[in-house]
Amino acid sequence: MSEYFRKYIKKEHYANHYSNLKFKTSFRNCILEAFKRRLWKETEGDDWDIMWAEKEWIHEVLDHTHLQANQKINHFRNHYELTRKDLMIKNFKRYKKNLEREGKSEEANNYNFFPLTFHLPSEYPIFFEEFKRQSTNSDTKTAWIMKPIGKSQGKGIFIFNKIQQISQWKNTLRYSQDNPQAEAYIVQKYIADPLLIGGKKFDMRIYLLCTSYQPLTLYLYRTGFARFTHHRYDSEDISNTYVHLTNVAIQKTSDNYDEKLGGKWNLQTLKLYLMTKYGQEKVAETFYNIQMLMIRSLQAVQKIIINDKHCFELYGFDILLDAQLKPWLLEVNASPSMTSNTPVDFELKCGLLDDVFTIIDLEKVLTGNEEQIGGFDLICKGTPVKLPINSTFTTYLGAFNNRQQQLKKIAKSTAIRLAQTYSEGQMKAIEIGSKGQKEKEEKDKQMRSSSKGPQAMQNGSSLNNKSNNLTKQNTIMKRNTANLPALGTLQNKSNLKRQPLQNAGQQQQIQQSQSNSSKKNNPNEDSMLSANQKLQKLTQESKINQFQPYKQQSQYNEVMGMGAGSRNLQKNEE
Amino acid sequence: MQQLDNQEILMKLKSQKQFWDIKKKIKQGFSDQQKIGINDIQKFAQSCEIEDQLIKLISHILKKSKKRETLKEDQIEFLNTSKIKWTELLFKNLDIVHQKAKNQEEDDTNTDSKLYIYDEKNLLAFLQTFKQQQPSVLYQNVQFQSNKLLNINIPLKSAQQILDKYQYILLQEELPEEKINKIRKQIENEHLDTELEKIAQTYVPNGERCLLYLKYFEFDHQETVLQQNFAKLQKECSNQLFFDELLEIDGHEISEDTFYFVFQEQILTCLKCFIRDKTIKENIRIQLQNGMKKEHAEFQLPVTGFFPFKNISKYVAPLCYLSTKIHIIYALFKEFFCRYFCFLHAISSEYNSILSLCMQIEEIVSTRSPKLFHHLKVIGCDTLKLIIHQLIYCFVGDMDPPHILTIYDQIIGHDSLEILVILCVGFLNKYKPKLLLAKNYENVQQIFQELREDKFQELVQFAYKQ
Repeated sequence: MSEYFRKYIKKEHYANHYSNLKFKTSFRNCILEAFKRRLWKETEGDDWDIMWAEKEWIHEVLDHTHLQANQKINHFRNHYELTRKDLMIKNFKRYKKNLEREGKSEEANNYNFFPLTFHLPSEYPIFFEEFKRQSTNSDTKTAWIMKPIGKSQGKGIFIFNKIQQISQWKNTLRYSQDNPQAEAYIVQKYIADPLLIGGKKFDMRIYLLCTSYQPLTLYLYRTGFARFTHHRYDSEDISNTYVHLTNVAIQKTSDNYDEKLGGKWNLQTLKLYLMTKYGQEKVAETFYNIQMLMIRSLQAVQKIIINDKHCFELYGFDILLDAQLKPWLLEVNASPSMTSNTPVDFELKCGLLDDVFTIIDLEKVLTGNEEQIGGFDLICKGTPVKLPINSTFTTYLGAFNNRQQQLKKIAKSTAIRLAQTYSEGQMKAIEIGSKGQKEKEEKDKQMRSSSKGPQAMQNGSSLNNKSNNLTKQNTIMKRNTANLPALGTLQNKSNLKRQPLQNAGQQQQIQQSQSNSSKKNNPNEDSMLSANQKLQKLTQESKINQFQPYKQQSQYNEVMGMGAGSRNLQKNEE
Repeated sequence: MQQLDNQEILMKLKSQKQFWDIKKKIKQGFSDQQKIGINDIQKFAQSCEIEDQLIKLISHILKKSKKRETLKEDQIEFLNTSKIKWTELLFKNLDIVHQKAKNQEEDDTNTDSKLYIYDEKNLLAFLQTFKQQQPSVLYQNVQFQSNKLLNINIPLKSAQQILDKYQYILLQEELPEEKINKIRKQIENEHLDTELEKIAQTYVPNGERCLLYLKYFEFDHQETVLQQNFAKLQKECSNQLFFDELLEIDGHEISEDTFYFVFQEQILTCLKCFIRDKTIKENIRIQLQNGMKKEHAEFQLPVTGFFPFKNISKYVAPLCYLSTKIHIIYALFKEFFCRYFCFLHAISSEYNSILSLCMQIEEIVSTRSPKLFHHLKVIGCDTLKLIIHQLIYCFVGDMDPPHILTIYDQIIGHDSLEILVILCVGFLNKYKPKLLLAKNYENVQQIFQELREDKFQELVQFAYKQ
């Protein structure tokens, strides 16, 4: 969690300290909590560093605003190319055709993860032909599913297997054809043999973070959900939506919906269950296919989405497994629900968001080359990331989520790296500073000697003058060592105190560089600066005390305490 | 050991894969010879190490064929009478429950009360009454034991012995893929009990666990039989019993668990079949209840010979992760219950019984963490009261299914429930710092109401922490 970063990294090592960061959001769920846990400040104005906006805001406001270089926002401008049901399919089809045209038929064949889909009303004639063909070819009636475009949470969805069943819909549409509000639908061949667990249908919600489309940079979250229907699956009974739709929003209205339950499994549980039936290899292959499906989906729209360094996006992929364990993409959500219905769910979502913020790196502490950050694994950077050959995982999706340990590790190594670069930067600054001063002094000297020279000669006190000059030089040196290098050594030392667990090699390095720096800058430190050193030591100690992790811890506890309070609030709201 | 005739042994032999392997080898070795004497066979067997295999195989068959006799009478007379008392108590409870259920039907508004005949707390409370009945015997031997909840003089294994036995788990590391594959193959080919136990002690890959259990319980070639038996039981379920209602209420509770809600229906079906299964009475290793109530015919014990208790569904739930076939889940559950879990509800002096396990835990905690033991005593929340739930229900609901299944592995691996002692001690040690700060029973409850995650390996590590 970000608290590890707060604990290990010193305040002045941040390029952008977290206390300076401001966020803006209209959401009042896990998103707000995750922001607060990072100790960022909420703002109502336009001085935000990060904004978690609703999709509508992007469409209405983003095009007319100029963003500052450091501002980040949670959607790409035309994200709907991927997240609107009809456009997504259109883009996939187009990309597939392009691949075929380029002769990459093998890759084109991989785009088989979406069901046969038509846009209504525009493609109604083709759909009708296909519908007739399907019903004459097979004995059992093929079921189709109608989904309104641009509606979420399962609203307006219905399933049918007779063409008459959509006639009513057709009529209303025709009636209101002049109406620009006329709703467009897509019709998809219904996947009739979904994988069932305990006789129940489920789909998976998996989180993918895209930080850039050029190069395509994707992070996959290890934990996701399987969402179950509350009723036994029955392919005959197509009128009962509770049987077929897994959306929480739909299931909530069911009579036997239990709030405490949530009707969810995490992916790890699902993986365990699947392994007993299909064996480890088959399950690993399935999860790898899911990962590739997600990468391919984004590759298909890579050139269409307007890349913007201000934007990032957390997608919620809805994926269904059929009885052969083949994954099917149902939908991509640009604003996956961040409202929780159980405490476990709450922690998971807050953790997920926290990791998103860590990757966005507003504090500018990461290198950008990290392969795992919290529960996120880098799966694509330009090209898909390949795991080491000897790795037992084909994908980390559904693997043990070791985010706490990982964050701790990454925070420590980051703290060490920052401390090093910081001290190096300090040293350079000092060198440059002292060099400049020396040069200046020499120039002064020359100037003075040239101007005063004859006078001195006249007075016959050139020796005296020299000693005068020396003391002057000394005083300048004194000021130097007392201010700048002193800070440098002080920070180095306190770094060491603050990172008790860094490895010995690096510690030595730091110590060496530290001692080098003091030697270089203060050749006659001992003799001249005993009093100052004492003062330094005193300030050092007080500084170290200031940075005791305990203080941070208590601060953290306070925040967590606050967190617990608002958690209760959330519960009450629900 | 029961005597088997030669025919029976031969039949058993023939059902083993290894037997046919050996036969094939012998056939190859003697392909040319016309006359074969017994000496020839012995020589040949010695030369190609068949002898060893054959001996192992036969001894294995004999061990398996040993009919597991039901333990009816306990060696300690006092426990036998207690068991009868316990049964009488349960009959009384049954009456109350029955009455309540009737009232509930009349008054629909009051459906909250959860009906059950007994739960873990009732059982512990009953066990607690023992010390008053036998004071003279126990104070003669050991004096400091008086601060414990249970004070009965029954033969116990030394606590150190148990700790030593399971210490190897601490050293277990993550296995590389090759080794796991090797274990997989081993499970597929292995038939000997002892070997399967060894595998279960160390590591069982998730995909092969079901096969291992089935083999260990000798079900590996009997799927059709299992299926038929289960179908028969399912038919019987059409006759409603009063206990069905209790099971349904119980099943509803397990459905609140994130990991098992999916299987609510399967669990209920399994349990309904279970209380109708007549073979359980023969197979169960210990009778849970004794005595009959004669006056009311409708309130008899179920055919299983014992009452279904609260949370019985917890024992079935983790097994749902092992197979998609309900008859296999049922068979595994039945076997697990008849061999092991029955001891958790039996008043007996057996090593596996709840009484022994409880006393072991008290022994270890009071000697190794006396401060905690005393503190809990002072705040009126005895050690046993704290962990009785976890102990009796094998941590189901307290740990994620993979960890629960690891516990099941260990139970099979050592043919014993002692692993639960280790885990309970570890559990207490893990929360020791928090528990020491608790000032009353409410505080303790608060600690366990918080979101927590316990893991098998972690609890074992805590158990050995000084």
